[in-house]
Amino acid sequence: MEISATYLLQLMLNGLMLGLIYALIAVGLALIFGVLEVINFAHGELLMLGSYAMALSLPLFGLSYWPALAVAVLTTSLVGIVLYEFFLRHVGQKEFERSILTTLGISMILLYGMQYLFTATPMMVDTAYGFDGLEIGSIRITVTRLIAGGLSIAAFTGLYCLLKFTQFGRAMRAIAQNREAAMMVGIKPRHVARNAVALAAALCGLAGAALAPIQLLNPAMGQAIIFKAFALVVIGGLGNMTGAVVVAIALGMIESWVGGFFGIVWQEGAIFTIMIVAVLLRPDGIFQRGSMRVG
Amino acid sequence: MNQPRWTLAAVLAAVILLLCLPLMTGSNYFVGIAISGLIFLTAAASLNLVYGYAGLLSFAQLGFWGVGGYCSAIAVMDFGWSFWSGILFAGAVNLVLGTVIGIVITRTTRHAFVVVTLTFALLASLVARDWIDVTRGPLGIPGLLPPQLMGFVFNTSARFYYIALAFTLLALAFLYALMTSRIGLVLKAIKQNDPLVESQGISPAPYKLAAFVIAAVITGMAGAIFAFHLKIIDPSFLDFYYMQTFLIIVIIGGAGSFWAVVLAGAAMVILPEALRFSNELRMVIYGVVLVAVMMFMPAGISGWLEQRRIAALRKALR
Repeated sequence: MEISATYLLQLMLNGLMLGLIYALIAVGLALIFGVLEVINFAHGELLMLGSYAMALSLPLFGLSYWPALAVAVLTTSLVGIVLYEFFLRHVGQKEFERSILTTLGISMILLYGMQYLFTATPMMVDTAYGFDGLEIGSIRITVTRLIAGGLSIAAFTGLYCLLKFTQFGRAMRAIAQNREAAMMVGIKPRHVARNAVALAAALCGLAGAALAPIQLLNPAMGQAIIFKAFALVVIGGLGNMTGAVVVAIALGMIESWVGGFFGIVWQEGAIFTIMIVAVLLRPDGIFQRGSMRVG
Repeated sequence: MNQPRWTLAAVLAAVILLLCLPLMTGSNYFVGIAISGLIFLTAAASLNLVYGYAGLLSFAQLGFWGVGGYCSAIAVMDFGWSFWSGILFAGAVNLVLGTVIGIVITRTTRHAFVVVTLTFALLASLVARDWIDVTRGPLGIPGLLPPQLMGFVFNTSARFYYIALAFTLLALAFLYALMTSRIGLVLKAIKQNDPLVESQGISPAPYKLAAFVIAAVITGMAGAIFAFHLKIIDPSFLDFYYMQTFLIIVIIGGAGSFWAVVLAGAAMVILPEALRFSNELRMVIYGVVLVAVMMFMPAGISGWLEQRRIAALRKALR
């Protein structure tokens, strides 16, 4: 097989898109872990809900992309708030296994509930952008993918500013760094935790909505992606958001390249092998754990 | 482990009842449910050894389950071995696999343990789907031959039921002996207080490893028998749904309690079948039950009863 520069570039671009979507999910997981010390197994289902909210509201707005996107983000952040107020609030800090099992139960309810309502048949979503594409030289990229990439980058910029410069974000970082000290200066952990879950869920909804016009939807789509995101967060250093983003993008690239050169069969296998090795070599992650460093 | 005096009588009665079960019903459907119930129960009981006793939340059981199923199917259909050597082969492969994985991961952190075991299970399902030369990929290996013993063919559900029953009873007896032995006590202590166990001059790592490997072997053999019950194996054998079922049995019964898990296993398999829910609704109900148990009685039903008992004792003392 002759390797052309355009092929390499195309693979890289695809990988970057994939990595950005992974990063949106992983960053939410890292945020929840940083603030609540909970690994949210239902995170993949939030993504799936985002996608379905997008798919179901698109026809209502005449296939118009942006209002449907807003609906998806709002829906998942509401689900996030419910998730926190009813369940996660009652799970203690040191109960790691309990948090996993609780969120696993929620994920089962959402996944199989959606499967019951909408069946497991994959769903196609069409937007007003359809299959429009942009051609730069001989590289082709669809508009929906381009928007997905742009939205992710915008979301990261927004998140960075939020965490760095606002009171809302400072409180979140404070709780993650030192819970007791944060409480002493009057930060309410419950409010901060709820905000964190809602924010993470909104990011997930954004990822799901951006993904909806790109790939086929089915209720199990969240499960396929969450396990990867889960491992990403651990490799990146639990609760370390920069780490999660960097690792997610790197992994998206690797996945795309492996798929491009060795065939689809090796793609996911290689990714999981890399993950196992990375976790075994550095159980605390490649980047420093915790403290939610954003800059 | 203290238990009521009538435990032995109850166990004997249950065993006799189970032995007579195929005679009482002519329906293959019910016998089929009973076979699944027994196998799930065994897999859950071995998960209980890892999670309930050693305190390691392992998702690798799903991988071992699948590896066991595929190994026995390949041994019988490709190597031309008998069913019995296929089961032993499944056990042996899982022994090696469990040891290799176990040595490394019983030394990592709790978080890494969960992630690695989960990733291993997913990797196993990818191998099942993608290694087409060996596993036939998505087509699977259909038409698994019924087991044979000295000319006797286990070709009906009722006959196969006795294989599942014999295996389940053997495995449960072994697990019971193990859990009530000194090893079981040490495992319980490790779960409660790791540093304290070390201060007593006991290294936790070999115990954790032993629990992990034993569970791997039993789960693998259970998977092997289940594959021959289904008579086909394909990548859906590694569906996350199985792992959720094992987990829910352990959680509801109460991790770390032998009999409660056995009873919960029987209840969780029979009830939804008896009430005839659709598969999706059944999983939704499993999820609701899992969340409810985690919210209101995190130690499972047995733990909740134990707390009630202790509370009653305290009250009597006052």
